[in-house]
Amino acid sequence: MSMEPDFREIQQRVRRYWFKDGLGEMVVGGLFILLAAYVAGHQWLPVDSKAPLYLDGGLVLILLLGIFLTTKLINIFKQHITYPRTGYVEYYPTKKEKFLAKIFIFASFAGFVILIMGVGEWVGTFRWLPGFLGALIALALMAIRPRVVELNRFYRLAGVALLAGIGASLLNWLPQYSVSLFFALFGCAMLVTGALTLRKYLRENPLPTTETADER
Amino acid sequence: MNANLRNLTDVDRLIHEPARLLIATILSGVVSADFVFLQRETGLTKGNLSAHLSKLEEAGYVKIEKTFKGKLPLTVCKLTAIGQKALAKYRQQLQDFMNKTS
Repeated sequence: MSMEPDFREIQQRVRRYWFKDGLGEMVVGGLFILLAAYVAGHQWLPVDSKAPLYLDGGLVLILLLGIFLTTKLINIFKQHITYPRTGYVEYYPTKKEKFLAKIFIFASFAGFVILIMGVGEWVGTFRWLPGFLGALIALALMAIRPRVVELNRFYRLAGVALLAGIGASLLNWLPQYSVSLFFALFGCAMLVTGALTLRKYLRENPLPTTETADER
Repeated sequence: MNANLRNLTDVDRLIHEPARLLIATILSGVVSADFVFLQRETGLTKGNLSAHLSKLEEAGYVKIEKTFKGKLPLTVCKLTAIGQKALAKYRQQLQDFMNKTS
């Protein structure tokens, strides 16, 4: 018999609080939609103009936003929406190794997509790219599960990633379009899940009045 | 008296109390949390939570900072290094007892 699971369960519940409002999913969903616009934009914009160059600058911004500003952006929303309702929690900052791993994952992911997009004729043979990306994202979402038990919506999102990836691959479009469609579908799914979670959270937790707030 | 049981009587009574143990465990996983969050997570009344926090603060286990966020009062609580140590020791004592008696 061990007391440790009880201690762990309490600490996991505290960590789970971060996901309670759906704001994280909404911000990440927005990033995926920006990524979809980037991939599709490359195909639509005239090659002989400077527009694709500006678009690449946009990708750098999306990546920087993803790596450095996502948590900050979520925190700004939380300060206005979550903390006044259900309380403020300051989590330990991401450890250096985790931070480097985050940079590595984002850079590899973006690099991989750009590489695939740029490898001329071979692109035509890799129509299963969205399916591959969907499986990758589904695996990443499943990996969150042990840390944040009882967040079943992450299973549903993993399912959506896999299905959207397979679906986009089966359309047999140019990978630039199918990858863009996949990112857009998954981004929308995250936005919708996040918005529904936020709506439920706001209904269950109305803003306290000055009288009912922290009165220690 | 059995040595294992005697070890158990040595546990820190301040941490051993269920409500305070819950507060300390919650705070051990984060840098800080406010009064509203602690109240929601523990299910304690304001007065009860306040009393337990005062005891933990007196022992130096918890540091409490009172500020304002706009018009709303904000009470932020942190588990100090002494508090972390006391909680770790308590968990170890309990684990040792469980291991020896099960």
